[in-house]
Amino acid sequence: MNKEEQIKIINETITKTKFTLKPLGYNFIFWGFLIISMSLFHYFFPEIVQFNVYSAAIYWVLIPLLGMIYTTYYNIKTGKAIGYETILGRVIKIIWGVFGGSWLAIVIISLIYNDNPVQDILFLLGVTLTMSGLIIKFNKITLGGILLILFVIYTYFVPDLNFLLVNVVGITFGMLLPGFALYFYKENE
Amino acid sequence: MNKEIEKLLFNPIRLKIISFLITVEYGNFNALIEITDASKGNLSIQLKKLNEAKLIKIKKYFQKSYPKTDYSITKKGRKDFECFFKQLELYNKKK
Repeated sequence: MNKEEQIKIINETITKTKFTLKPLGYNFIFWGFLIISMSLFHYFFPEIVQFNVYSAAIYWVLIPLLGMIYTTYYNIKTGKAIGYETILGRVIKIIWGVFGGSWLAIVIISLIYNDNPVQDILFLLGVTLTMSGLIIKFNKITLGGILLILFVIYTYFVPDLNFLLVNVVGITFGMLLPGFALYFYKENE
Repeated sequence: MNKEIEKLLFNPIRLKIISFLITVEYGNFNALIEITDASKGNLSIQLKKLNEAKLIKIKKYFQKSYPKTDYSITKKGRKDFECFFKQLELYNKKK
């Protein structure tokens, strides 16, 4: 084996090792649908979600926590099936792990101070999406993140907005649509 | 160039293993079979040689009662491969 052949083998092997986008797309779609469904349910049935002082807080903490447990299980299972973890995959995992922790901190702080966390969470989501899009070089995710940040800024200037509907609009454009774009992206093309 | 590394990576299977592990955090045996196109027996031998040269590390564990093995590159392996690759690049530029 000469040096040209060695270089060829190295290049071919590195090209074969890809960061698969589909599981990340699945995560976005899952969270998009979950948060949109929760927001719409809360909007149309406030008497159920807010039947006592703590019920809304439990609703917005418990269901996403169950979602986190499910997506963690799905990601571990998918990772084992792929059989390797790329450095890019690890970076994305850390970023979304930090987002999960920050989301929990924002929710707890907002409960203590009796504040609505929607704008803070959507802003954090926008930043995390933009970072993810830039890292994996996927423009639709980057665009979704930037649009979400701009949308959150816009909500600060418009008084009396319903935050549940803000959530629906923000998550649809910032997470659900980019998630579908990722999930159906043909990686070999 | 380190003669030992040059000799070790002269084998295409071993070169594929190291080239793969340099780009990932870890890889399991099945992923390595897919990447290298080697038989199980041959792959095991090459992995053992790389482990003996301290270029890769092996993590064994049980998953649902089945033994599993993950492979990753060591600091020495990364450093040696980078040195090896730089030499190849230098040769390529000179040509």
